[in-house]
Amino acid sequence: MHKSLKIGMTAGALGALVALGGLAPAQAAEDVAKLSVLHGVPGLTVDVYVNDKLTLDDFKPGDLAGPLDLPAGTYKVAITASDAADASAPAIGPVDLPLEAGKNYTAAAHLDEAGKPTATLFTNDISQLAAGDGRLTVRHVAAAPAVDVLANGAAAITALVNPKESVLTLPAGTISAAVAATGTTDPVIGPADVNVAEGTNTIVYAWGSLTDKNLALAVQTIDGLHSNPDSIPAGEAGLVATNQADGSTGLMVGGFAAVLMGLIAAGVVGVRRLSAVRR
Amino acid sequence: MRATVGTFTALAVALVLLTGCTTAPSTTSSTAYVPPTSAAPAPKPEPAPAPEDLVPTVSSALDQNQAPRALAPQRIRVESLAIDMAIEPVGLAADGAMELPRDPSVAAWYRFGPSPASAAGATVVAAHVDSLVYDIGPFAELASAAAGTEIVVTTEDGQERRYAVESVQTVTKADVPWDSIFDRAGPGRLTLVTCGGEFDYDARSYLSNVIVSANPIA
Repeated sequence: MHKSLKIGMTAGALGALVALGGLAPAQAAEDVAKLSVLHGVPGLTVDVYVNDKLTLDDFKPGDLAGPLDLPAGTYKVAITASDAADASAPAIGPVDLPLEAGKNYTAAAHLDEAGKPTATLFTNDISQLAAGDGRLTVRHVAAAPAVDVLANGAAAITALVNPKESVLTLPAGTISAAVAATGTTDPVIGPADVNVAEGTNTIVYAWGSLTDKNLALAVQTIDGLHSNPDSIPAGEAGLVATNQADGSTGLMVGGFAAVLMGLIAAGVVGVRRLSAVRR
Repeated sequence: MRATVGTFTALAVALVLLTGCTTAPSTTSSTAYVPPTSAAPAPKPEPAPAPEDLVPTVSSALDQNQAPRALAPQRIRVESLAIDMAIEPVGLAADGAMELPRDPSVAAWYRFGPSPASAAGATVVAAHVDSLVYDIGPFAELASAAAGTEIVVTTEDGQERRYAVESVQTVTKADVPWDSIFDRAGPGRLTLVTCGGEFDYDARSYLSNVIVSANPIA
């Protein structure tokens, strides 16, 4: 379900915003910062201004924008009501987001523990994972007290408070995740299936408001963090080897099998070649 | 028969050396892995962006923005080589190798990598070439696959996906570029892997991998 929001941009809007719109020449991954934006304030459609220029128009709660490739630098972000004419009266911010080259960020507009709109810049862990592993990042951006995160019924993260995160490395696979008030196991969100995909940072946000009974989970994924198997050992008998003696397959295998007779228990009677030797 | 194959291989090597690899024959035997042409990054012309560009925006809802589960391949057939095998999804063995079923008549798909239904990258399917218990497996035939040989992979949705062999290479194990074999980017393609070449009778291990690169038939 992709939809796109237009970047409102005038011809004179050069500088950082130009890069937002992709006008900057292609840059190597290590030269730019990646920025995603999550809207986690319930019931409030907003506009997002970056350096006073409208960047996200009519951005809806629960939506995730980006990632955008941005030159390193500090960006001033202001979030206004969607009918605002400019960034002069922001509902959130303005906040300064210092972005370093080679890093990956998510700016979340969300409620603080008391229910007041705020914004938090998270740095996403994009370090390489071992083959077979996935990374699960859980972020508390909801108007709610400390929570525990239950994975398959057991507390995997305890006493997580707004606006903090916890990062786990897990064998890739689907877990049943739920969020409960800390020290309890009665879910206030979930349980829901979360695919902790291999080679991917799966970032789950608990957002909304406990008081308003609109707590929910949001998810963002960053893939490409995988490692690969380092070999495929796919043979053990030498039956198709190109260096068999004298090109006499039968004799070679027969001799090999005779050696094996001493090694392998007599239980392996199903082996055709062994039977041949025995005859 | 074996001597003939050996001679042919020697000739092939000589040919490769003579031609300096500029026009590599479809079946080569060498220690240097030559990436299939399909693995080369496709030239991506940068479209001139309009002044009003689009920021991709999605719903972050759990049921809409999770990593998709790959569509598993379940069967591989190569009619001309009498190969018809079930495919099991596998992960990793304890030592970091790709896991394989013991039975060489069962193929394995690396389930953390691309599948034939993925938008990009190499689907890796491997099988033992032989076994002390089960004898020689169907993938022993791959070493003799000619360029253009058709491979049919059936995915779990019942769809048959056809590929044509581009190259067959026998590469000494230390020289196999595993990151390229398991590439998750680049054009969608199929890579079959088994063992072959010379055998180390002390270590009970083949010295090379046989690597088949195949491209989708449009």
